[in-house]
Order: sequence, then C-alpha cells, then structure tokens
Amino acid sequence: MKKTVPVIEVKNLTFAYDKQIILDNISLAVEEKDFLAIIGPNGGGKSTLLKLLLGILKSKQGSIEIMGKSPSQSVSLIGYVPQNTNINTDFPIKVIEVVLMGHVGSKKPLFGYGKEEIACAMGALEQVGMGAFAQSKIGSLSGGQRQRVMIARALCAHPKILMLDEPTSNIDIQGQREIYELLKILNQNMTVIVVSHDISVILEYANKAAHINKRLSFHDISDKKMMFHPHSQEEHFCEVELLQMLGTQKDHRYAKKENQIKWSTKK
Amino acid sequence: MIEALQFEFIQHALVAGVLVSFAAGIIGSLIVVNRMVFLAGGIAHASYGGIGLAIFFGIPVFLGASLFAVAAALLIASLTLHSRHRIDTFIGLIWAVGMAIGIIFTDMTPGYNVDLMSYLFGSILAVTAEDLYFMGILLGVILFVMIFWYRDILAVSYDSEYATLRGISVRFFYTLILVLSALTVVIAIKVVGLILVIAMLTIPVYIAEKLSHSLFSMMFISGLIATFFTLVGLWFSYAYNLTSGASIILVSAVLLGVFLLLFPKK
Repeated sequence: MKKTVPVIEVKNLTFAYDKQIILDNISLAVEEKDFLAIIGPNGGGKSTLLKLLLGILKSKQGSIEIMGKSPSQSVSLIGYVPQNTNINTDFPIKVIEVVLMGHVGSKKPLFGYGKEEIACAMGALEQVGMGAFAQSKIGSLSGGQRQRVMIARALCAHPKILMLDEPTSNIDIQGQREIYELLKILNQNMTVIVVSHDISVILEYANKAAHINKRLSFHDISDKKMMFHPHSQEEHFCEVELLQMLGTQKDHRYAKKENQIKWSTKK
Repeated sequence: MIEALQFEFIQHALVAGVLVSFAAGIIGSLIVVNRMVFLAGGIAHASYGGIGLAIFFGIPVFLGASLFAVAAALLIASLTLHSRHRIDTFIGLIWAVGMAIGIIFTDMTPGYNVDLMSYLFGSILAVTAEDLYFMGILLGVILFVMIFWYRDILAVSYDSEYATLRGISVRFFYTLILVLSALTVVIAIKVVGLILVIAMLTIPVYIAEKLSHSLFSMMFISGLIATFFTLVGLWFSYAYNLTSGASIILVSAVLLGVFLLLFPKK
C-alpha cells in the first residue's frame, strides 16, 4: 500500500470536562480519501472528538493538525454535517437558502447573495441529487432529503474533508442506504469521516474504523471488508461480533451490555 | 367615514398604524422563529418601569421607555446567552419587577393622575408628530439592519451552531434582535398598549408563516396582515367608539379564527 501524507493528524490528545476525562491520550492519522468510521458507545467521546477537529472545543494536551494547520485555521477545509437535522422544520426557509449558509464569508457581497454563490449552491444541490427541490420549503422534505441538503450545505465551501455526525439517525433504511451511496461517491474526491452507531452499515463503506471509548483503537479494515459484506453474511449479527473482529475484546463488558440493548439487523 | 380623514389625529393614527404594523411584522417574525415570544413579553412588561421613571423624573415617556426596554433586553440577552439555570424564572422576574417599578414611580409622582390605561391598552388616537418621527426612524433602522444582515440573521435564526462555525457572531445578532424587539415594543405600546403588544407581534406572523416559503416573505406578509388588522380595528374603534388597541387585537383574533377555519390543514 502506498503511503500518503495524513490530512488529519491527532497526537496524544487528552480532553476533559472539569475533571472528567472524555478522551484519554488519543492518536489518530487520517489519510487523503480515507473513509473513516468513528464508532463507540454513547458518551464514549465520539462527538467530542469531532468538535475538537472542528475547533468548537479546544484541548490543553496534545495536538491536532488538519493539513498542517490548527483546527480553527482550517474551517474552510472541512465540510460539517451536524447531528439532528430534523430540528426547526417549521422554519420558513428555502432549500437553496440553507445551502447558501455553507459559504465561508470571504467574497460576500454587501447585500444578499452573489450570482456565483447561488450557482455554486445549485451545483452542490445537483451533486446530492436535490437540484429539483431548490425552491422548496425545508420542512416539506423527508428526513433523508433534508440530510442530503445538509450535505450539500457542507459541500458548498468545497471542503477537502467531510465530517458527518450520526447522519442516518431518524432516517428510514432506504434513505440510509442512499446517504451512504452518496458518501461513497463523494469519497472519490474527498476524505469522509462519519460518526455513527450503526456500525454494521458503516463498516461496509468505511476503509478505516476508530473505536472510541475514552481510549481509541484504530483499524485498517479495507482488507477485512468482505467479512462485513451483507451478501457473505445473511444472518443478522451483533456489535459483539463486530467488535471482536476489530480486536476490541478489551471492551467486552461494554459490548455485552450494548448487545442486550441493540442488535444491528441486516437482511 | 371619509370625513374622519380630515382630522389630524386620524391621519396620525393611520400613519402610525402602518409604520408600527410593518415594524411588528418584521420583528414579530424574528421573535417567533427564534422562539423568543416569552422574552419579548418580558421586555414589553418591563418597559413599564421606564414609563414610570420617565413620568417621575419628567423626561419624555418614549425616551424613558426605550432606554428601560433596551436595558431589559440586554439583561435578558446576557442571561440567555449564558443559559442560566431556570432562565424562565428570571425572565418572569424581569417581567414583573419592571411593572412594579413603573407603578411605584407613578404613585410617587406628586399630583400626577396618570392615565395608566393608555399605556396598558394603547392610545393610537393620541399619536403626535414627534411619535411618528420616532416610529419612522425605527422602521428605517429595522429595514436597514434586515437588508444589510439578512443572511447572517437568517443563519443565526435557523441554525445557530452552524452559523458559529461559519464565523458569524451568534451573540451579536441575538442581542441585536432583542434590542430591536425592545424598541418595536415601545412604539407598539402607543398603538395597542403593552398588555396587547405580544398579540400584535405574533398573530399576523402565525398566519404569514403558513403562507411563506422564506423568512423574507414571512416578514413582508406579516407586515401587510398587521396593517390590515390595524386599519380594520381602527375603523371599528372609530365607528363604535371602542378602545382602539383592544379593537385591533380582537379583529386580529377573529380573523385568525377565520383563517384557521378556511385552511384547517395549515
């Protein structure tokens, strides 16, 4: 395998709220055009890591470099799709206006939106297959369609890295699959990082996986991929098996507990 | 009816109705989409403190009410931005304490038999030329802010977390919206009074929201609807000798009911 320069390099990062340690001495290297899945239990630190990468949170120990810059300097390199895009659906706003928010304020015109900005936003909408909905009210879309619009908003600034926080929660199975197929296409041109609970689906698309539960264990799963492919495994399988395959048996106690609560089923 | 138009106080009332309706339509839209109705209620009632102080110290009532309302808005903004524990208790407190200050200071004003009702329920037929200038300037400021910062205000209102990531100061725009709300409340007190001002800021907006695809059209339609309600209310008030503020609000409520009956699905 050829080695490329990492687009994201996290070294010995520790983060704590007051005295409660959320992330403990984490190191991570993401290479160009990786598809990284960040998995782990609730409260394990997944979203915190994402917020640190985005520069929303700052840590005192360890370092984060995004293409050689600090997170706060690299806002325009990252496209971000937040969690819970189903909030505020009554808001009177057109799809195109939501996408236009994605522009970083370098060449803002004095009033309203520039022609180039609108053309760029339309392009992003076309890219996610939502061009026909540009003038629709955001509340009239389905959850999956709305998620595509949020992806278009993130694409608006031509990012090198796309980060998504739980992109398929509250979306039906068909919609989820469409979102991941879209991410797969986008992955040809940019690095994709997805935080998700839904590990069986995400591992089918990802080539790297990071399991975070205070500590991080990192896996290159591009070769093991077949193991997770739905056609090779008709039975539904659970997180315990997946985590064991990934070599996180240390977390077995957690896995067992999760296992009782949630099964990831597949047909 | 037409002969009424030759009276100066009727002309003033009509101009004030239109100016205040558009200000209320624009600011009411922002208040509703940002879920600040309770905050605006707090500011409206607190502004009575400014009225009382103005009467006591003998300064223009508009000025006193404006300063006090803006101070209340800044206080509420800072409480909200620091997401203080039990914030609704504090807003309720500001709401009541402002009124209490107003009442105590009017009590203490020697020999002043204040017409409390005119501030609580409005006195659009007593609008002066100076009041109209103040209303006109405020509407101008609101229009300027909206045109100049429309996309930032839209981003902050729709998705404040994302707006922060794009480098927009949520703190600044949130405070700006509350300060403009405070000033709008002060001019709307003249038309419908501080008790009824919340209805004027929300009823037209509720209808407009159902008819709009964007924040801009919501503001414009709210302004038109508020103007219509105000003019019809004024007509009732004049024709049957009723209190103008209450007439405007009842007309609004009845027409909202008609709207809900005609378009139940919306």
